Amino acid sequence: MNNDLNLMVAGPQGSGINFTSDTFAKLMTREGYNVFTNAELFSTIKGEHSYFRVRVSKDIIRSYSERVDILIPLDAKSIILHREQLQKEGAIISEDKLNDPRFEAIPYREVLQNVATKFGKSLSELNVMKNTVALAGAVKMIGIEEDKLKKIISENFATRKNLAELNNAVVDEVFATFEPKRMFGLPKTTYTKKMLINSTQSVGMGKVYAGLKFQSYYPITPASDESNYLESIMEKYNFVVEQTEDEIAAINMAIAAANTGVRAATSTSGPGFSLMVEALSYAGMTETPVVIFYYQRAGPSTGMPTRHEQGDLKYALTAGHGEFPRVMIAPGDNTESFYDTIESFNIAERYQLPVIVLLDKAMAMSNTTVEPFDLSKVRIDRGKLILEETSNYLRYRFTDDGISPRSVPGVKGGLVTIAGDEHDEDGHIFTEDAGNRIKMMNKRMNKVSLVLKDLDESSKVNFYGNPKNKKVIVAWGSTKGAILDAMEQYSDISFLQVRMLEPFPVDDVIKYLKGKTIIDVEQNYSGQLADVLREKTGLVVDSRIVKFNGRPIAYEELVDAFKRVPNEKRVVLEYA
Amino acid sequence: MLSTEKPAGYKTDVEIDWCPGCGDFGILNALVLALQELKIPNENVVLTGGIGCSSKIPHYVRVNAFHTLHGRSLAQAQAVKIANPSLEVISAAGDGDGLGIGSGHFVAAGRRNVDMTYLIFDNGVYGLTKGQASPTLPYGENPKSLETENIKFAVNPIFLGLASGFTFVARSYSYNIKHLKETMIRAIKHKGLAMIDIMQPCITYNNINTKEFYDPRLYDIEKEGWNPVATNQDEYKEKVSVAVSKSLEWGERIPMGVFLDYQTETYEQKLQKLIPQYGKVNYVTDPIESNGKSIFDITELMDSFV
Repeated sequence: MNNDLNLMVAGPQGSGINFTSDTFAKLMTREGYNVFTNAELFSTIKGEHSYFRVRVSKDIIRSYSERVDILIPLDAKSIILHREQLQKEGAIISEDKLNDPRFEAIPYREVLQNVATKFGKSLSELNVMKNTVALAGAVKMIGIEEDKLKKIISENFATRKNLAELNNAVVDEVFATFEPKRMFGLPKTTYTKKMLINSTQSVGMGKVYAGLKFQSYYPITPASDESNYLESIMEKYNFVVEQTEDEIAAINMAIAAANTGVRAATSTSGPGFSLMVEALSYAGMTETPVVIFYYQRAGPSTGMPTRHEQGDLKYALTAGHGEFPRVMIAPGDNTESFYDTIESFNIAERYQLPVIVLLDKAMAMSNTTVEPFDLSKVRIDRGKLILEETSNYLRYRFTDDGISPRSVPGVKGGLVTIAGDEHDEDGHIFTEDAGNRIKMMNKRMNKVSLVLKDLDESSKVNFYGNPKNKKVIVAWGSTKGAILDAMEQYSDISFLQVRMLEPFPVDDVIKYLKGKTIIDVEQNYSGQLADVLREKTGLVVDSRIVKFNGRPIAYEELVDAFKRVPNEKRVVLEYA
Repeated sequence: MLSTEKPAGYKTDVEIDWCPGCGDFGILNALVLALQELKIPNENVVLTGGIGCSSKIPHYVRVNAFHTLHGRSLAQAQAVKIANPSLEVISAAGDGDGLGIGSGHFVAAGRRNVDMTYLIFDNGVYGLTKGQASPTLPYGENPKSLETENIKFAVNPIFLGLASGFTFVARSYSYNIKHLKETMIRAIKHKGLAMIDIMQPCITYNNINTKEFYDPRLYDIEKEGWNPVATNQDEYKEKVSVAVSKSLEWGERIPMGVFLDYQTETYEQKLQKLIPQYGKVNYVTDPIESNGKSIFDITELMDSFV
């Protein structure tokens, strides 16, 4: 773990911190390194303090580090707030003279003035490029050629060539004049092709590949990045992204589009999901293959909209009135989120039920290096969809497995009647017959056991480490990365990642956890998975490691927490 | 083989559970007659309903029936049309469903102008829950089903439809099947979002807005010389302001007929500006896979992140 380098860019929102860290992350990705970024934004557009971390290593990294090696503060406040986190051997790149041995001075004003003069501009026009000055300084300290940085800047400003030129002139000026006191060499690595993506992008690509034709959404952090990404590519891949008047319309439109015969989805976060819940129950009742991408953020209520939490597990598991089957999948990283997205549509159509893909802010805003997706094994399965002429059609026909052939409007002989009231095989609602009710409930609820029976273990759980270990971590979703990183320092700890939360894979979980010392790691207050585990399997966890301060887990705090369990029953992580 | 030639071809054999004499029967009959006249294949029609007496109508018409949630008929209907523009989409809703719980969708729908038809069964009460005041019940009225007089002002569906951007706005009457059928046909043929506010007496709970109330009051604005057609933006601006003032009339005389018929860009045409292939390839029938393999090439997308 000593092969890594951690850069932090901090400053007021809107001062280019995002651009700086993204450019640096891209550069390091192209150098062949593994990259993991963490974005801590204030819920505002401009002004408030925000910071981005970029961790770089030749080794696999799956979380961010508490360490900061190079700090780029874009205002004085950032120096005060973050200098404590900076390593003793670290560097602060700053224009302000600091009484700190780690201080690396770059005369920002002089650099920008020189470039301004060269281009016949005023200094005030170039002031926004302070971040480029610092970025170029950091890149020089790491020993990477300036041309590589300039290439990325040119790409970033592809449509604004004059800005590219100015920024690149700033890079030239810094490289020509800045003499760092120390260098931060990284171990050499061999280049392999990697994408630098977050889960809004991996899910977006998954949707395109899965054949999504209709996506609805109402703007909400952190989910709308995904819809906005889809909007940027819908022209080329020919599908509709519909921004609706509210989340109620979003889910209802996705449901209607699904029942019209296209693959349809909606993406939201907690507050929006709350508005969708009535329709979720409707989707269960009407056996509609709709997929909801649920990016959790810190609640309750509006909570901390730009901060991270896994607080909605139990809610998403049970949301909706009445009993109906649902499938809920929680990808643990940006690779899983791609494949799970495609599989979520397959499951939705095969079993004709709503599927929730549970993601979170950490995944939505962390860019990580991911190998290009292997598409050779990805299948598209539309289940019992009928698109050709048919006869004697009944939308809710009783079948051996409870799944009815699914016609859609436009199919000759296949008129469909869909209803949220209890209905007969033809979808009509004028039966409140007690016997029909039992048959229909059995038909729908049978899907739960069907899903459990059909899906293989790898769709339900992932197990890491030596199965003989006594201590086993249990967790779900995005904590996976920090857990795997921390586990590298413990050969006596294994990890069970629960990938499918509903139906709960009772047998697979018992297989790995029975008789073990179970340690729950979650990013919520109560340790919700531990409660679910007890309800579903009777297994009781020995310790709960939780974090609920709105920030993802840095791997070091887990390394430390693992020492404290199972002696301590509850460990609260607090690193920010 | 079902015939679409006779009205029976568009009726299901489902037993109708509206109260005997309900104004909804007239709407059902007019719709069946309209579909029969237009000869749209049954399988190409989608009829959505919300929740309420009115919204059970999808079960009685032999077309694709989406019986949705309370207030969501219009939201779902628009998505059906967007997902498959080759379908003929008709949405039914009550006044409580469409203008109370679903009013947000009503306003937003006007911004899109999806090519579909919206039928509002307007009786002033929530019938299925025993006659509470609905958003269209006039201020101060106290039908027998209400515990107290109605102290809320009524929403004006015609005015709201015009204000929201509906491009075809009409009022008709469930006891004037001929007018209602003709208006439905015009609404269905209209390219864009068409609404018909249908005066539909609830014989069980609303003893004020009855057939006896409407018969002498309703008059046809088009018979009195109003031409609702606007073919360009200038005409639209001119017509819509007159239509608004007509919509405010309510009392001894109640206007019916088409208030506005404005041909402008439909949502489908607007989508085509963003997605050139939209509507040229049918999203439903065009395959997304071949032998279980996706037909989409995302190499370029993946490379954009390298």
